[in-house]
Amino acid sequence: MHLIQRMKIWKELRRLEQRAKEQPSPSTYVDLGQVYINLDLHDKAESMAVDGLALFPKSIELRQLLDCARRGLRARRATELRAKLTRSPNPKLFRELALLQIELGDSNALHATCQEWSLRFPDDPGSWLVLGQARLTSFYRDLAAREGQEAVDCLERAVEMDPNEVQSRRLLSEVLYRVGAVQAAQKHIEALRSLDPADQEVEALLSYVATLPDHGGDVGSLFEEVESHGSLKHPSMQAAEQAPSAERSMSSVRDGLTHVSQLPGVRKATFIRGSKAMVKGAIKDGRDPFLRIVRVTAKAAHRFARRLDIGNASKTVVEGDFGKICICVFGEALAGAQVTAEADVDQVLGDLQEIVAGALHAGDEQP
Amino acid sequence: MSKIHDAIVELRHAAGVRGAAVITSDGLVAAASLSSGLDGDVISGLASYLMMTTNRSLTEGDYGTCTKLLLNATHGKAVFVQLDDSYLVVLFDQFADISQADREVDEAVSRIRRASRLA
Repeated sequence: MHLIQRMKIWKELRRLEQRAKEQPSPSTYVDLGQVYINLDLHDKAESMAVDGLALFPKSIELRQLLDCARRGLRARRATELRAKLTRSPNPKLFRELALLQIELGDSNALHATCQEWSLRFPDDPGSWLVLGQARLTSFYRDLAAREGQEAVDCLERAVEMDPNEVQSRRLLSEVLYRVGAVQAAQKHIEALRSLDPADQEVEALLSYVATLPDHGGDVGSLFEEVESHGSLKHPSMQAAEQAPSAERSMSSVRDGLTHVSQLPGVRKATFIRGSKAMVKGAIKDGRDPFLRIVRVTAKAAHRFARRLDIGNASKTVVEGDFGKICICVFGEALAGAQVTAEADVDQVLGDLQEIVAGALHAGDEQP
Repeated sequence: MSKIHDAIVELRHAAGVRGAAVITSDGLVAAASLSSGLDGDVISGLASYLMMTTNRSLTEGDYGTCTKLLLNATHGKAVFVQLDDSYLVVLFDQFADISQADREVDEAVSRIRRASRLA
């Protein structure tokens, strides 16, 4: 780079660094981070994004900057590893490189690395496990039968090479029971239990899988069915465990709304998600204008804040001869209350915020 | 007119205020004092949209009209106060305490109303 060009860039950097200190905002951090990335200083861009996110944790631009900086760092590390592997190949370095390539989403490079790994170290099941993991990620994302079948082939090969390898068996058993091959999955889970009889998680998994109906052992057809239906036959154990917590979450929303409606000065309160609303207080029916006012104002406030680049509108208070309407929004959930002049608005807003935050885990259950 | 502008400029100097503007009900900027990076036309357009939408839903529901609207967002806050044929918009940074700035906003509203009547 020309000396004058370099000086210009450093001058611009100093100006941006000063601006970021004096006027911290997502855009100032992003501008500065972008210059660092252009100068190939990904580590500095990463720390800039981390600092920015500490101040503006919800900024999408800063998350993108962090992602971009980390991708740059990973790409650099991958180049270093590739050079090291050329000099002295070993399974540990192959594994590190392959995992980096998964994170970078570079499937062609990953395939080439795993191929070289298995050629150089034919007794190491690691290459088949990593390749299986990558295929499995693609399968869970797209539900493409081919990816699923290839994942199973890779993982079965890893298990064949080392029957005591725990991770391959875990991944294999999970994909098998989720597509419906419950009996085939049970064999692998029982093998896991025999490897570590004290493992409570394996025991719980075995109990969970025992409750699922088996759809046969033709894994290829099961993958085809999953692809054509666009959904897996069974949820994972973790997802199945979360279902009751979603019910608890909705009941806490109900309790929270009752509490708000009983606060002094509160006339009516509502919790809205999608087209459904839960109401408490002096509300006649679903056509009560209060519900429409809450929806419309929350939407308009959201658009105002987004277009003005000040993030998401989380709390809004509308005042008029009717008293005040307090609205809290979090994601798709919104809660509102109409209050009179004597109500403690801060308390009402705080309680409404608790309701919408608590509704985060309410899953897809509608109020 | 300059008295309205003076009131706006003074309000702009209050703690945490990034900008203040008087916007007519048809969306024109009557007076504004904004920090760099804030565009008066953009603010007037967005503020008109928000106030008109809110007022329409209120009047359709027989709630009357909005006299004041407070908005808290992730990276900023805003206060809208209905005047006679216009409204005052005050934009704050995310760290500002709107309730502490109430006095300055109320004072600015009184000065603008007085100046409007004299005009």
